Amino acid sequence: MQIEATQQIMLLLLVLFPLGGAVTNGLLGRYLAKGLVTLVGVGSVAVSFGLAVASFVQLYGLHHEAHHATLVYHFYEWFSLKLPGGQVVPVNVRFAMDSLSGIMTLVVTGVGGLIHLYSVGYMGEDEGYPRFMSFLNLFMASMLILVLGSSMPLMFVGWEGVGLCSYLLIGFWYQNRDYAAAGRKAFVVNRIGDFGVLIGMLILVVVAGSFEFSEINAAAVDGRFQADFPVLIFGVAPSLATIACLFLFLGCTGKSAQIPLYVWLPDAMAGPTPVSALIHAATMVTAGVYLCCRLSPLFITSDVAMSVIAVIGTLTALLAASIAVAQREMKKILAYSTVSQLGFMFAAVGVGFFAAGFFHVFTHAFFKACLFLGAGSVMHAVHAHGDADIFKLGGLKKDLPTTRWTFLASCLAIAGFPLTSGFFSKDEILLGAAAQIHRPDDALMQAVGWFTLIGLTLAAVMTAFYMFRLYFLTFTGEYRSADQSGDHPYDAHPHESPPSMAIPLVVLGIGALVVGFLGLPHVMPVTGTHLPSWWGHWMESSVAGRPVPEELSVVNLASGLAFAAMAVGIGAAWMLYRNENEDALAKAAPARLYQLAFEKWRVDELYAAIIVNPIRKLAAAVGHSDMTFVDALMTRLPSFNVRAAGRLFAHLQNGVVQMYGAVMVVGFVAVMAWFWAPHAAIEADFEGTEVALEAPKGLGYEYRWDANSDGEFETAWTTAASTSFEYQQDDMRGVAVFLRSIETGSERRIRVTEKWTSLPIESVVPAERMTPSERGFEVRVDGADLVFRKPFVPTGSQEMRLPMGRVGRLGQARVFARPLVEATVEVRNAFGNTRRASRELALPFAFEDAAPRASLMPPSSREVLR
Amino acid sequence: MNSHIVSWLLAIPALSALVVLLLPRPWERTVRRFSIGAMLLELLVSLRLVFADYSTAGYRFVEQVQWVESFGISYKVGIDGFSLWLVILTTALSPVALYASWGSITTRIKEYALSFLLLELGMLGAFVALDLFLFYVFWELMLVPMYLIIGIWGGKDRVYAALKFFLYTMVGSLLMLVAILYVVSSYRELAGHYTFDLQELSSLVLPALPQYLCFAAFALAFAIKVPMFPFHTWLPDAHVQAPTGGSVILAAVLLKLGIYGFVRFAMPLFPVASQAMGPVLAGLGVVGIIYGAYAAWVQRDLKKLVAYSSVSHMGFILLGLFAMNRNGISGAMLQMINHGVSTGALFLLVGVIYDRRHTRMLDDFGGLAKVMPWYALFFVIITMSSIGLPGTNGFIGEFMVLAGAFFSRTPIGFGTAWFVMTLLAATGVIFAAVYMLHAVLRMFWGKVVHEENSTLSDLNLREVLSLLPLVGVVFWIGLYPSFFLDKMNPAADEFVTDFTVRYDEGRRTSEPRLVDFELLKRELAAAGELAVTEGADQEGRP
Repeated sequence: MQIEATQQIMLLLLVLFPLGGAVTNGLLGRYLAKGLVTLVGVGSVAVSFGLAVASFVQLYGLHHEAHHATLVYHFYEWFSLKLPGGQVVPVNVRFAMDSLSGIMTLVVTGVGGLIHLYSVGYMGEDEGYPRFMSFLNLFMASMLILVLGSSMPLMFVGWEGVGLCSYLLIGFWYQNRDYAAAGRKAFVVNRIGDFGVLIGMLILVVVAGSFEFSEINAAAVDGRFQADFPVLIFGVAPSLATIACLFLFLGCTGKSAQIPLYVWLPDAMAGPTPVSALIHAATMVTAGVYLCCRLSPLFITSDVAMSVIAVIGTLTALLAASIAVAQREMKKILAYSTVSQLGFMFAAVGVGFFAAGFFHVFTHAFFKACLFLGAGSVMHAVHAHGDADIFKLGGLKKDLPTTRWTFLASCLAIAGFPLTSGFFSKDEILLGAAAQIHRPDDALMQAVGWFTLIGLTLAAVMTAFYMFRLYFLTFTGEYRSADQSGDHPYDAHPHESPPSMAIPLVVLGIGALVVGFLGLPHVMPVTGTHLPSWWGHWMESSVAGRPVPEELSVVNLASGLAFAAMAVGIGAAWMLYRNENEDALAKAAPARLYQLAFEKWRVDELYAAIIVNPIRKLAAAVGHSDMTFVDALMTRLPSFNVRAAGRLFAHLQNGVVQMYGAVMVVGFVAVMAWFWAPHAAIEADFEGTEVALEAPKGLGYEYRWDANSDGEFETAWTTAASTSFEYQQDDMRGVAVFLRSIETGSERRIRVTEKWTSLPIESVVPAERMTPSERGFEVRVDGADLVFRKPFVPTGSQEMRLPMGRVGRLGQARVFARPLVEATVEVRNAFGNTRRASRELALPFAFEDAAPRASLMPPSSREVLR
Repeated sequence: MNSHIVSWLLAIPALSALVVLLLPRPWERTVRRFSIGAMLLELLVSLRLVFADYSTAGYRFVEQVQWVESFGISYKVGIDGFSLWLVILTTALSPVALYASWGSITTRIKEYALSFLLLELGMLGAFVALDLFLFYVFWELMLVPMYLIIGIWGGKDRVYAALKFFLYTMVGSLLMLVAILYVVSSYRELAGHYTFDLQELSSLVLPALPQYLCFAAFALAFAIKVPMFPFHTWLPDAHVQAPTGGSVILAAVLLKLGIYGFVRFAMPLFPVASQAMGPVLAGLGVVGIIYGAYAAWVQRDLKKLVAYSSVSHMGFILLGLFAMNRNGISGAMLQMINHGVSTGALFLLVGVIYDRRHTRMLDDFGGLAKVMPWYALFFVIITMSSIGLPGTNGFIGEFMVLAGAFFSRTPIGFGTAWFVMTLLAATGVIFAAVYMLHAVLRMFWGKVVHEENSTLSDLNLREVLSLLPLVGVVFWIGLYPSFFLDKMNPAADEFVTDFTVRYDEGRRTSEPRLVDFELLKRELAAAGELAVTEGADQEGRP
């Protein structure tokens, strides 16, 4: 059962408050007191969070009445498109909150609110503080539009809006050009993804006839995306769903930092730490997963696309984790960790466990935000700018107790320590992979399942390892900057952060430990007890998914692997790094391999070599050749030709007067010859039975007319170039038969006499449009009739008669007759020379009646109108 | 309805030009104020046009007076859903461009004002003319003041650029004149009298070959104006050399006349040729999108960069136009306004920095965000509009154009060629971000490396006043485009229907003939073969 609560104004206000905050601080912030800036910046998000909670409570209430409950606010119609069939599809500014977007809204405003609060302490002293608050608020508004938009285009507004904010915030310290360049890289790489979303969106609307998510999903459930894509790709016709999903997934790889477009996210750490926590860990980068869940009924119909997503997700999880293992800086490690965790989420999506993937989005928001803010707290404590090298830290557990405990809680969560949030969510993902192995009916899915399961387990081992490597090197052992020796040491006396930074840490740290209980596993490992999963039940109404396995063996396999991975990873880190000051792994691992991992497998360099530089060279070539080659072709070549011609003529102007004289004489003679004899021709115009005749005008011309060419001029010499005349039966000189194609309107005129003449019907109707019975006619005049016959029919054909004023039809052609008359004019010019012209005219009426018959009028609108 | 408003639109700049001509040369302040005042009055008068009812297709405010009777030339003007916005664009941007010019133009004030008023007259005349002869007169009239603006108040190579501009455009229009005369004489052979009236000439159906030749002649003139790849090489030169005000008008309005010419004249008169050549021109548009973007990326002169971005944007418009459906055509029309606003604003912004530093080389800047924060804010907003960020005007236009191309031709919406063209055009979205953000990076971010830049003053009141309306329109179209689209869509629907009928007739003609299309359309509609355009917009709405 479905329920839609319409015109929930809260949904609109939810978006407008941060937007208003952004505009206020953006335009006026630098003239306002800092307290006021804080009030506007944090306050607007706090209000937004309040509204989110209130809306969620209402939604929760509705869920008791109906399983599919949605809150809706229809704002206005943005614009509309017209589909090929003529259907007009409106693009609405319409917000909707269902179970999926409800959770996401809470995360965005909740975690976002905490990070705003944190920023008050972290960024308060920065001169760009109002600008920072303005950008953060703008981000919140964009992210909420992304989440709450009920249709693809509106979601896309948020989708690109968060990209813009990401660009602005990564390059927040714009005076450092590298930071600004990192922002640009993020924007451009994201745009490559957005290209995919644009195309995907167009495919969706053509098939589903709507931009609304609910209707696209309904169309997917109806199987309308199962048709073949009309354009062959490498000779194969994939289904519409596959193509659409792959284009959309391209967008997801951009926004959510997956292979091949993940390269921007590590660079994005140039932004202030709260930005990394909010945008590049907790919310924006999970938008891709959100989109897949939003359209899960569509994605699940394409096995190919799902397999691609699972494989890409797994590969990304592995690749990023392997890089994180060798990094030296806190935020870099956390950045690659984020990429890797996003890979986990996509792997879950790819094996059809959308709810599990989204659950990981939810838990990840807590522990990863907490980790980033913890890193920020450390950097704040030791006055590190940009990023903190963990080999210059150590032993901070004494000075930063709050940071240390919350950081430890989050490390446990991300490593998947039992009963923490990450434990539950990662378990579900591995369970999803394991479930695919038990699908003997589908070899593709089985292979994908094995690949995903093994890959994710390895990635989980590395996750636990690099997180605790980070923890041990930062918080245990001795503080390596204490004696101020070494290269660029940090502040010798670290201090704990102010409460505005500590409170968010504590809240998020506790969240990282407990929120997992919302998503208890369906079947408990080992014991096999069935548990109620609030999360699974809540998500069911808006997210599709493959069935959760009930077999204990599968559940045990997944949980066992997850636990083992966590234990191995933490254990290895404990042995190598506890109370250590050196990079033990660098000594243990092969140097080349370690170096390569440290240099991020040199993927950036690879992209530069095979994509960026070739395009740059091509652009340089284009830019250069445009002003040389193209311009030469279009401008200089024609101008050269003109100049050459000019030179040629200039040679003729050689100053020899005799030559000029000769040319003049020739010209004069030619002109005089032209004027010597007058010109004569006749144009006729029919009006009723009256015929208007006209001859060309000329200087000093006089005319006299013999309209019926009987040798007697009806008019005397006159200067009027036209006359009119009414022809009589006696003036007739003959009869013309007209053939006119019904289809093309082309005409042919034949003069007929009392002798048989053949009728060339093939000249107006193409041979292939004729039947043999229409060919080979002859025609002659007999009194007031036309007579037709076929001379070559052996049995002797029957003659057919057509009265003069009627229209007959022969297959694709019309046949009719017209009387012919001849008009003559004599023209005299000022020299006294005369010239005579005659013209045969076919009169568009018959003589029997005084009035012309409509059926014989010249091509008129009636004829053309079929 | 008929209040001679269009004639007033032509009379105001003409009379003002006369007044300016009579003002004494030393009265510079008077000339400046008077010319701006006249243009603002013109804008005010033109706004009256917006409040007519455009829910059905057809011309409004039509006026017709015989001019040269023996040749059927008449003064016939009128407005429809297409030309409405182009007229408003012209009347709105002319004062902005002139106002912005008063900051940097200090010599020959009187002649400058005179040129601008005549330019406005020419552009408006070309947009409202419904008589081919009248159109041609205005089309050529417009060339002269632009030639003077570039040639007198331009940069170092102004004479070369002005000449190139003039000759390029002239060559195209001469062939167009030949084609116009051919059409008129063909019409006369059938109907027996001369006419240059577009609506009368529209009943002429030419067979394929003359259609192709005439279309080629028209298309050359318009493609040069657009400018379509590869006829674009006059544009960077003209832009770089023109003074700021000239660049603004050139980009914002003059280029639009090319597209307008296709819509108003070339496509309805020669449907068979347009249908056949459409994909080719759209393909050249796509080439232009990518080519322009690449060329823009490597420019070191900011103004040249913006000029090449125009080539790229105009490619989008061509693509939408020849997609031949409502999305494409409305999208192209909207994108014309968008391009006028965004690129006009970009040229203003380039002018701002040029006035201060007398250089436009990207290498000479860097870190300006620190020195000129408001300038940076405006520049980034316009950049976002130019690269089509949702919420700004650029997105709506590009999205509709892409949808139009994607839906083109086949009933279910996929033709391989159009699919590929859509994909390629959509990559333009990526490259736009590349070159524009490249410019922003080089201009605004980083440290101030050149000493001269550290003391630059931020935007002054004049500059803010000329930029603010444009930024307002950026968001207006971005957030509520229906105000504009509701007036274009009926015209676009009618255009498509009309084109289909004309194409159908033209395809079956082997000799010239006259067809009463209004009657034919009514009959076809009655027979149910034609979608009735009135009210079609209502279906599918909630």
